[in-house]
Amino acid sequence: MRILALIAKRLLWFVPTAAGLIAVVFFISRVIPSDPVALLAGETASRESIEALRTKLGLDRPLLVQLFDYYRQLLQGDLGTSLFTTRPVSEDLLARLPATIELTLAAMLIAVVVGVPLGVISATRRNSPLDHVLRILTVGGLAIASFWLALILQLTFAMKLGILPLQGRITGFPPPAVTGFMTIDALLAGRWDRFTSALAHLTLPAVTLAVPALATVVRFTRAGVLDTLGKSFVVYQDAIGIPHSLIVWKYVLRNALTSTVTQIGLLFGILLAGAVVIETVFQWPGIGTYAFEAILQSDYAGVMGFTVYAGGIFMLANLLVDIAHGIIDPRGGRT
Amino acid sequence: MAHVLLRLARDRSALLGLILVVLVVLAAVLAPVISTHPEAVWDMNPANRLKPPSGEWLLGTDRMGADIYSRVIYGARITLLIAFVAVGTSLLIGVPIGLWAGWNDFWIGEALMRISDVFLAVPQIVLAIAIAQTLGPSIENVILALSVTYWPWFARLVYAEVRVLKNETFIEAAIALGVPQWRIVMQHVLPNVASPIIVRTSIGMGFTILTAASLGFLGLGAPPPAPEWGRMISESREFLPEAWWYALAPGLAIFAVVMGFNLLGDGLRDVLDPRLRRAHDR
Amino acid sequence: MRQKHRRALLASIAALGLASGIGLCKSDAVAQSGPSRFVFANESDYDTVDPHVAFDVGRVAVRLNVYDGLMRWQKNPAVLEPWVAESHTISSDGLTYTFKMRKGVKFHDGKEVNASDVVYSIERILALGKGAASLFKSMIASGSAKAVDDYTLEFKLTRPSAIFLAIVPEIHIVNSALVKKNEVNNDWGGAWLSKNSAGSGAYRITQFDPAIGFVAARNPDHFKGWGPKFLDEIEFRGVKDTNTRVLGLIKGDFNGIGGYLQTDQLKRLEASGNAKVLDAESMRVMMMQFNTTRTPLNDPDVRRALNQAFDYDGFNKNILGGLVERNPTPLPNTIWGNPKDVKGYSYDVEGAKALLAKAAVKIDRPLEIHFLTGFAQSEQAAQLYQNGLSKIGVQSRVIGTPWPTIVERFGKPETTPDISVYWISTYYADPHNWIGEMFHSSNAGTFKNAHHYKNPKVDELLDKAVQSTDQATRAKLYEEAVRIVVADAPGLWIYNTKWYGPYSKKLQGVVFCPIGNAQEMRTAYYE
Repeated sequence: MRILALIAKRLLWFVPTAAGLIAVVFFISRVIPSDPVALLAGETASRESIEALRTKLGLDRPLLVQLFDYYRQLLQGDLGTSLFTTRPVSEDLLARLPATIELTLAAMLIAVVVGVPLGVISATRRNSPLDHVLRILTVGGLAIASFWLALILQLTFAMKLGILPLQGRITGFPPPAVTGFMTIDALLAGRWDRFTSALAHLTLPAVTLAVPALATVVRFTRAGVLDTLGKSFVVYQDAIGIPHSLIVWKYVLRNALTSTVTQIGLLFGILLAGAVVIETVFQWPGIGTYAFEAILQSDYAGVMGFTVYAGGIFMLANLLVDIAHGIIDPRGGRT
Repeated sequence: MAHVLLRLARDRSALLGLILVVLVVLAAVLAPVISTHPEAVWDMNPANRLKPPSGEWLLGTDRMGADIYSRVIYGARITLLIAFVAVGTSLLIGVPIGLWAGWNDFWIGEALMRISDVFLAVPQIVLAIAIAQTLGPSIENVILALSVTYWPWFARLVYAEVRVLKNETFIEAAIALGVPQWRIVMQHVLPNVASPIIVRTSIGMGFTILTAASLGFLGLGAPPPAPEWGRMISESREFLPEAWWYALAPGLAIFAVVMGFNLLGDGLRDVLDPRLRRAHDR
Repeated sequence: MRQKHRRALLASIAALGLASGIGLCKSDAVAQSGPSRFVFANESDYDTVDPHVAFDVGRVAVRLNVYDGLMRWQKNPAVLEPWVAESHTISSDGLTYTFKMRKGVKFHDGKEVNASDVVYSIERILALGKGAASLFKSMIASGSAKAVDDYTLEFKLTRPSAIFLAIVPEIHIVNSALVKKNEVNNDWGGAWLSKNSAGSGAYRITQFDPAIGFVAARNPDHFKGWGPKFLDEIEFRGVKDTNTRVLGLIKGDFNGIGGYLQTDQLKRLEASGNAKVLDAESMRVMMMQFNTTRTPLNDPDVRRALNQAFDYDGFNKNILGGLVERNPTPLPNTIWGNPKDVKGYSYDVEGAKALLAKAAVKIDRPLEIHFLTGFAQSEQAAQLYQNGLSKIGVQSRVIGTPWPTIVERFGKPETTPDISVYWISTYYADPHNWIGEMFHSSNAGTFKNAHHYKNPKVDELLDKAVQSTDQATRAKLYEEAVRIVVADAPGLWIYNTKWYGPYSKKLQGVVFCPIGNAQEMRTAYYE
């Protein structure tokens, strides 16, 4: 079956790529010239106790030995133990992953729900003033530094107007975690106040994150629609008198959505990349902030764990998109 | 070449992009001439700190009393330097690799593409942060981090194009006729790959500038007292909302430059190769 | 999608957004649930609530509120008061300390606090090797604490030390029975106690999440008793961003925040009508430490010149808006043992240039100034210093380093930075906390000593001072040591800060002590 073949091929490609990624990051993180063991040992520790702790943690063995040990660990599903939180990295990341996913999904939702219609309009009213404005806006959306946009939005809505919170996921203790998505968990727990707090906190980061994705969706949808409109079967249907709006909404849209699905993999990459900086600005407790703090604190396991996670998620998303595309559009001969 | 420029000039947004880019480059070059307080970029006077925009301080002063307008102008030098060198280096590394891997069928080529997949698997900024943090904050290290993480884009692009070209009849004919391979590559393949490379370069400039600014914002860019735009924005956070001017100026500068390169890139793409309009948009 | 539907969708999204925005303002007021709840936003995270693992000022709220010690620092200027111990005696040779404990002090689970719990606690501190362990290790060995009976406790020191008593408050007494029950693989309950509490203090932890903070409920049976008004529940959260903390206090999301803020922010708080800013004399000195083992910083003339290149007034008066006081010596102005007549150095570009010209060693390379990432003041000080140095013809680089990294680098003189900018707070109210740990050669390479300074005369003075127990004698010894050190200029000293406490207007009863930074909430209440 083609789909199985596709999956098999992707997985085969996944393994060495992942191994290579891990090796690259491993060597980068081991070269970081600072020592987290000293922190663990405490502010007032002596050199001897620091060295003793280092041996205890196995950080004094040759690098290649440590790398292969890490591979072995990974195969057992163990991402190592964070030197700081003293919890397993997989636990830390898993705890923070829902926050990033909630943010990413919210941004994706905004990007698609707002972007696709705008893209269609832009294409069907090609070269109209509206189209020009939208084109400038989309280029602009890709030109804004996300952290700057975040700051401006914070300045306007949180500081000057005071209607949205500045940072974080929620003010106060969160609702009991069921899905890890605070908005949904709050609804499940029936706590309206927790829901509004979580939603309000989600707004600014999601909007900021969504901007480049939104711009991309509009551009791609526009291009896809224009492409479809130029296709012969559409011209034919137009010629034989089928109402134009029907053509647009039935055929063009389906093709536009198809191209959007294809782009979700790309979108995901954009969102994940944006998440690292935006999470830091909004103190959103996701894997992006975790990565940055891990790097600052030379938490080897944390840095590695994040990269493996991020790489894995990204590759997984691409795999799913490839499969989905293969199902929706078997004609598309994508290798 | 001339007809390309002519067609470009007719595209209004591309023209706008070109103008923006030229303006920023000019500002960077003429920095000592057009800045109002060139000494204040490097010399601090805490007594002047956090003054709002006025006749004397066009865009206000920062937390150390330096003139923000002058710092933004000088900052253009840093930004453009990083962008040109990083993208240039990525190009110089990526294009040859892509050419070689695409043209030849050695396993090394495949391996190189897999390696570049590694760099494409993780968002550029994550790897760039790790590298910049390792090496320490400086302009050279930022350039290094960005070059190392961006060459795969060129390599992949060229690889894909070369692979397609290899199957074109006229190339097959040239090989059959016994034309030396390197000449085929230089005379037939490269010119055909030039268009996507040029487009990607322009778009890559904008993208690189944003990533570099992000690194600066996170504290991993050029160290103080360098007037790096991302770092200036980061410094301003503490003083908001009172010192609103502090955050506005550098951010608008980034926006203008990146917008310029993006518009230019889009225009180039439309002119050079309309079929590229649907290709990867990064 | 039809035009109409799309508009409707957009409209409902907008409405939802608006509703949640309005809902937010109400929802957080509901979250505060009543006037006797106190929420504090802290600069650092509470990643563990184990009192024996964290020794720093950033996480002191846990130690002070949830646990008790034999003695405790109170008041300002700080005074060491008996706490769980009623009295103590010291043997004439200064090696044996005997404490008599109160009867009837209970842990949160009802069990009585006994001497054996204290013995377990000190053994635990030494075994875990974190937090204050290093300080204790220099004075007592494992096994030297003994429970003579249920309420009497004996410590045998390895050598006499004037500061032992000063650090006794760091022995936070944990419920040994409870902790032992939760020990896993000989970890002394480390995994369990990082997330739970086993104390006897005025509050007991009811909720804890390392990503958020902890909530603690009042312990009505606390041995110190309660006044007519108090706080029923206290919550301490890690909120790393300054603006969030400031805005939160103004909006009423928080009732107290950390006080290391910019002048503008303090003024904004005062003007808000919702908050007030308390202040008190404190002891936290900001300084730069020079690596005296490395050329050109090994030449005292060079170091003296460098001392004149920092714009003290520009920093203290302009950047910090006059909220701090110039402190020309390593000891805080306010503590005994600091000679009052030492003027120290001032910003003098010409004088510095002259000294450099005269010096035997020349500066032929850029110096590296390391500041602490996350501490904007230290970054600004470093930048200002770079500016001043360039005026006297010295090039420099400003580099940000996280605290744990820089502490590790202090370990060896080869890896210690040229110049390090940071603060030394009050861990215990004794000059040894500063001048002793900063300049004694045996302390070189610890987090307080990046100078690697070796001066036998100073060592001698400091040793005598630690071993004597008469404050007047000690004061004289410290004063002499300070004079020598200032003349030798192994570092430069910028300011001693006042403590600023931004709180809700209606909060009363906050008592400041330099050890603890007013985070002991036992005495506070809403009016």
